[in-house]
Amino acid sequence: MAETLLEIHDLHAGAADREILKGIDLTIQKGEVHVILGPNGSGKSTLMNVIMGHPGYQVTEGSLTFEGKDITALKTFERARAGIFLSFQTPEEIPGITVENMLRTARQAITGKRERIFGFRKELKEMMEELQIDPSYSERYLNVGFSGGEKKRNEILQLLMLRPKLALLDETDSGLDVDAVQIVSRGVSKFHNADNACLIITHNARILDKLKVDRVHVLLQGRIVEEGGPELVDQINRDGFGHIKETTE
Amino acid sequence: MEKELFSTLPVPTWRWLGVNEVYLPEELQTLPTPVRKIQIDVPAGQHVTQVIANRTEQRTEITAHVAEGGTLQMVQLQLLPPDKAGTCNVEVTAEKDAQVYYTTAEIGASRVLAQVKIDLAGDGSKADMAALYFGDGTRSIDLNYVITQTGKKTEANMQVRGALQDSAAKIFRGTLDFKAGSKDSTGREKEEVVLLNEGIRNRSVPLMLSAEEDVNGQHAVSAGRLDNSRLFYLMSRGLDEKEARKLVVGALFATVLERVPDAELREKISREVEERIEHGQR
Amino acid sequence: MEQQKTFVEDIERTLYDIRNEDHSVYKTERGLTEEIIRDISRQKKDPAWMLDFRLQSLEKYYRIPLPVWGPDISELNMDDIVTYVRPGGKMAGNWQEVPEEIKATFDRLGIPEAERTSLSGVGAQYDSEVVYHRVQKELSDQGVIYTDFETAVHEYEDIVKEYFMKLVPPKDHKFAALHGAVWSGGSFVYVPEGMHVDIPLQSYFRLNAAGAGQFEHTLIICEKNSSLHFIEGCSAPRYNVTNLHAGCVELYVKEGARLRYSTIENWSRNMMNLNTKRALVEKDGLIEWVSGSFGSHVSCLYPSSILHGENARCEFTGVTFASRGQDLDTGATVVMLAPNTSANINTRTISKSGGAATYRSAVKVTPGAKGAKCLVNCESLLLDEKSRSDTLPVMDIETDDVEIGHEAKIGRISDEAIFYLTSRGIAEEEAQAMIVRGFVEPVAKALPLEYAVEMNNLINMELVGSMG
Repeated sequence: MAETLLEIHDLHAGAADREILKGIDLTIQKGEVHVILGPNGSGKSTLMNVIMGHPGYQVTEGSLTFEGKDITALKTFERARAGIFLSFQTPEEIPGITVENMLRTARQAITGKRERIFGFRKELKEMMEELQIDPSYSERYLNVGFSGGEKKRNEILQLLMLRPKLALLDETDSGLDVDAVQIVSRGVSKFHNADNACLIITHNARILDKLKVDRVHVLLQGRIVEEGGPELVDQINRDGFGHIKETTE
Repeated sequence: MEKELFSTLPVPTWRWLGVNEVYLPEELQTLPTPVRKIQIDVPAGQHVTQVIANRTEQRTEITAHVAEGGTLQMVQLQLLPPDKAGTCNVEVTAEKDAQVYYTTAEIGASRVLAQVKIDLAGDGSKADMAALYFGDGTRSIDLNYVITQTGKKTEANMQVRGALQDSAAKIFRGTLDFKAGSKDSTGREKEEVVLLNEGIRNRSVPLMLSAEEDVNGQHAVSAGRLDNSRLFYLMSRGLDEKEARKLVVGALFATVLERVPDAELREKISREVEERIEHGQR
Repeated sequence: MEQQKTFVEDIERTLYDIRNEDHSVYKTERGLTEEIIRDISRQKKDPAWMLDFRLQSLEKYYRIPLPVWGPDISELNMDDIVTYVRPGGKMAGNWQEVPEEIKATFDRLGIPEAERTSLSGVGAQYDSEVVYHRVQKELSDQGVIYTDFETAVHEYEDIVKEYFMKLVPPKDHKFAALHGAVWSGGSFVYVPEGMHVDIPLQSYFRLNAAGAGQFEHTLIICEKNSSLHFIEGCSAPRYNVTNLHAGCVELYVKEGARLRYSTIENWSRNMMNLNTKRALVEKDGLIEWVSGSFGSHVSCLYPSSILHGENARCEFTGVTFASRGQDLDTGATVVMLAPNTSANINTRTISKSGGAATYRSAVKVTPGAKGAKCLVNCESLLLDEKSRSDTLPVMDIETDDVEIGHEAKIGRISDEAIFYLTSRGIAEEEAQAMIVRGFVEPVAKALPLEYAVEMNNLINMELVGSMG
């Protein structure tokens, strides 16, 4: 019997008195892969940020439940500790903090256990190899001077090291060349198993090649206007959002 | 006779650098020179454009007030004869959502003192300043630009481009001053100066003052010779060194000059700079 | 959107605030007269030339006015400063001989422990006199001299006479003149040609007496192709009266030599820290300054590098943390006198709880310094709306063949950076602390490990976050 991981109920949220999400309902079970499609400005990234608890957005109505617990009022780090992970569309550059230092601090914060330096380093090295990241990057400052593709791979590295229950991937494949998309896609499929779930925003179906998509949601002007199986991805890649817009307007 | 102070650095520093203050040139003091005064009032929501091409007035004072939502576009070109000293003092106050576009070129005079103070008093007000100077011969240029950010969500931008040759000397003081309460304001300042031969003296004093946490300020200065690889590139296309210099200095000045609405004036300034690079000061 | 506020708690000071009873055996009268200078000179058994030097400096001190720029130092009343305070006991070469109470103070600060674990030599000054000085035998056997300054005046009189206050002449400014008149204590280091001192030497300065001044003199000479890392630490307990520190540091870096001079300054918040530091660097020489300013009520500190020989270089790394009641005016000056000289200046300042931090610098390129390069990068972080941060650099360039770049930024911790880290499960307080530590990382990286740890302890921040 499938267990519910995330349940979004009638979610209204916005920033600076402007409502962006206008009543979202979405349920994700363990083991599932969900894809969100939608034109620019439809509220996709806002939804990701609101699930992660970005302080710049306010939830005005509705609720977020994670593993049966209401997380609507939880702070960002508490959601992360509960098992939610966001792969940022544009990851922050933070000088002075190395990739390894941040990851070890984060993992200790999430598991509540001290990480042994050597074991941790070995695991990190393996994951970096897997993602074809140069080992010297573990000592570099977080995203500082990284290329677009390096930043995205670094996000997937964090995903693999922090092992959340729910991965929110916000255009993790955008701006990447074909090879890099392959690497990222392999990383995500390595992460995914029956106990966790992915919610993916993408403009490029290739990242989904190695994943079995369970459910596709089309977001338009802050509302989910169409839902379906993986076939919806192909259909929209082929025809765009035109027909959906027509039927909703 | 007591020396008359013209302008001061908003916060003083070591005296030995000689940048704390500047006094009125003696020739303007011993032969008291009439001061031309210009007052500009931009009514709320209106747009005013003012172009001043100064070839004769040795002392100018301009005060401007830009009311709520108004826009002032001002161009002040100093084209005095090379044997005259000149001063220009500009003070602008911008109210809520007002915009100030100030463009200036310091081309003429033997000694020039210029001060521009823009107060972004109102919330959401904006100052966009672009200045160029060309110093050659024994010309001495003294600039003191200050943008004060008092209102919330104000935006300041100060871009200064210059070139120095022969034994010209220049002091540029550029200050961004974020006052307490100027929340969510940004300020940018940049001076780029090209040094065309030895014997010049360039002093740059970019100040950034902040009594407000929620601001984002940046300033930068770069000074040096013409980029050798760029010169080489142009010379490999058949330009001689002087032509290449003219082209590079012209490109440096272009972003400032293109804000001068009058094509004839633009052309005149470019030509004059090119000629002076070619033949030295007339 | 609710504003997220960051509160960084004050530096943990209790360790530094333990004060001892004043058992000094001798004190001068308050204020500064010729009689006092003669008295100090007699106590120190100065040679005649040194007494003359002191008296001439005093003349200059009377004549030179206070500076017109910089922080307000009007509360400093020279008549109230006891210029010379000598602690009980003699200078010791053996830690066991140092008076118990003074020893306990330095023990608490970890000084002899530092010597045991990681230093080639240690000097400790308590008020006006050096109480402890020791250098590894292998080094002294090879001609390295490390001693207190009074000993140097007598035992190495010729060298001292040649170099003493030649780089920082008393006429330079009022506090240099004061220093010339009343200097006491400090360190003398001489590294012979070609000698590499691999392990750092350290001097620790402690001011215990209330209302006193400390005027130690540090003179370091690195002969041709030698190298040295010298560390200076400063602290004082807190009193309600103003203390004055007007030390002077003169560094001579000869051809091909390298000197790193590191300072972690944590004077108490009643200290006026008006210190002068200057280095003269010859051909192919390198001066590296690492400067951490955390303490004092008012600081004026701008280590200056005179790049005198071709290819001489300067690397300056500084961090300044100004909190409640502090006005810390710090920075650097560089004078480039020879071809192909270069300088890198990298600073970070943090202001919180009403503290004021100023970055002030001067870069002077003379006509002879063809091919000079100088890059300045300074970043300032404001942690709350009560504090202030100013940046005042001056560049003075007298030749065309230069590459001069200056960049400065001012701002607050970005909300997006906090969100990024908290989205990885890191609590807000820790995320803020990580960002502040990352901000000062360029300095921490330049310090030996124990000092990096000390600095992190100094920034022992208890962040109390409050999300709107």
